[in-house]
Amino acid sequence: MAILDILHFPDPRLRNKAKPVPEVDDSVRRLVDDMLETMYEAPGIGLAATQVNAAKRVVVIDISEEKSEPLCLINPEIVAREGEEKMEEGCLSVPGIYEPVTRASWVRVRALNRDGEAFEMEADDLLAVCIQHEIDHLEGKLFVDYLSSLKRQRIRKRLEKESRQKAVDADGSHKVI
Amino acid sequence: MAKKQDSRSVAARVLKEVLGGQSLSEASARLLPQLEDAKDRGLAQELCYGVMRWHPQLEALTRQLLKKPLKPKDLDIQALLFIGLYQLLHLRVADHAAVHESAGAAERLGKRWAVGLVNGVLRAFQRQQETLLAKVDADPAVRYRMPMWLLQRIQQRWPQNWQETVEALNSRPPMSLRVNQQLGSRDDYLQKLADAGIGAQIIEATCSGITLDQALDVGSLPGFDDGLVSVQDGGAQLAAELLGPKPGELVLDACAAPGGKSGHLLELAPGLQLTAVDVDGRRLLRVQENLERLGLSATLAEGDAAAPSGDWSAQTYDRILLDVPCSATGVIRRHPDIKFLRREEDIAPVVELQRSILTAIWPLLKPGGRLLYATCSMLPEENEQQVAAFLAVEESARECGIDVPWGETCALGRQIRPGDSSMDGFYYACLEKRAK
Repeated sequence: MAILDILHFPDPRLRNKAKPVPEVDDSVRRLVDDMLETMYEAPGIGLAATQVNAAKRVVVIDISEEKSEPLCLINPEIVAREGEEKMEEGCLSVPGIYEPVTRASWVRVRALNRDGEAFEMEADDLLAVCIQHEIDHLEGKLFVDYLSSLKRQRIRKRLEKESRQKAVDADGSHKVI
Repeated sequence: MAKKQDSRSVAARVLKEVLGGQSLSEASARLLPQLEDAKDRGLAQELCYGVMRWHPQLEALTRQLLKKPLKPKDLDIQALLFIGLYQLLHLRVADHAAVHESAGAAERLGKRWAVGLVNGVLRAFQRQQETLLAKVDADPAVRYRMPMWLLQRIQQRWPQNWQETVEALNSRPPMSLRVNQQLGSRDDYLQKLADAGIGAQIIEATCSGITLDQALDVGSLPGFDDGLVSVQDGGAQLAAELLGPKPGELVLDACAAPGGKSGHLLELAPGLQLTAVDVDGRRLLRVQENLERLGLSATLAEGDAAAPSGDWSAQTYDRILLDVPCSATGVIRRHPDIKFLRREEDIAPVVELQRSILTAIWPLLKPGGRLLYATCSMLPEENEQQVAAFLAVEESARECGIDVPWGETCALGRQIRPGDSSMDGFYYACLEKRAK
């Protein structure tokens, strides 16, 4: 298992559309395992393959406190959605930014599991939000796209500034605290 | 997706671990770094330690307020109720913010159903605060915020000033420092603190101890990274002073982690050949880190002091520091979770462990050598009774009196009453091996 690099907004590769996985083989399973490890280490509660620069329709999620309920969705599709709910979201590709987004409060999802078997599940609350957030990534869409363009601009500037700052830190000119 | 980490929900997760049996210092070391902002970390720490300090009261109030107890998997919601009540009662947070933020934290914990519950319970408390407080305070364990068994032990031990002692155990401890005398005197360091605008006092009973008027991040301490000072309670600093190591001597620190006292021994006697042993390999890494920061070195070994084996046990030592595992009842002000986690039935096994360690380590002391037995407990069975039992069976051992102006004389050894001279409640007994 390995920790993968997570792309940061506004990296254009986050806009790539992921391709369906034709067969769940060992390489896909390795990607799933690496993504889970990367997500837990970050720490996050969901990660899409797009975020680690893999153009595959693969998502991992674990909203439990104990990191004990890993969920793997391959080729996921939302087949039904209901209700509306506003929740503060954040994203491992948009570090440090949290903004409220309105989404469906309940979803039914069809996907393949880590063994390539088809299944369907229903989710509400945080899990429903997380599933929609991650499937958006596979379409090249980010939660900041739901915000006003002014707000998105501000976030982009802030993250660009921070990444320049980090480059300086890595250079050794500043001590990282 | 990433969840926003806020002080209250992270504090609730830390407290959930503590309510489930983990130590507060471990749980907070693991989870608090998830908060990026130092101010948020500070608030979360304040909430966690404050809640555990007031736990008996908050627990009794919650029991009054909840119609039925929460399920074991909802300890985080239980913790949020404690956090909410603690803010309402003991922190200067606006009441509406305390209620609103605590309820909101339930949602961030992924438990939207509990938002209404937390809100309702906290509002119900606000409506009947006086009545409820009077009701729960009728129980001495709540009034004195101490489990009954421990309260009784303290009353027996200090019939005159037990209330003072309980108060000290429930208070916020000062942040105490030990100046590394190898790199400068205590007065030099006081000057550095004064220059940095940090208020500080010396701890009279110690040679190198200072308390700060206000706790602060170690990063803001002058020269911390260069090893000028360490964070250590005044009472703990007396261990190395009492053992009195001399340069060139062979010294064993048999239960060394996290290494505060090991570092102090080396600061006192450069050229000392120190072997630091601990049963827990991961905690031994902390010893290594602590010594590295101080620019000191010792032979480190993973080993069980109750069953010595390996190179470190194949030689004998001039002096041995035996800072045995204990109930830690003397340091409750720094580890308030002990009031909740420690049970009366835990004491007998720890006394037995101490007995076996003392018995197993004694043969490693040279004739004429000196062993300092130390605990951070205030219970006689771990302290003077333990030492008395050892002296009764070990003919080669005799007690040397500790002639110092601090602490209280016991039948054997010396006890610091928690809070006395702003120090933690340590116990020390100095034993000497008769030369044949």
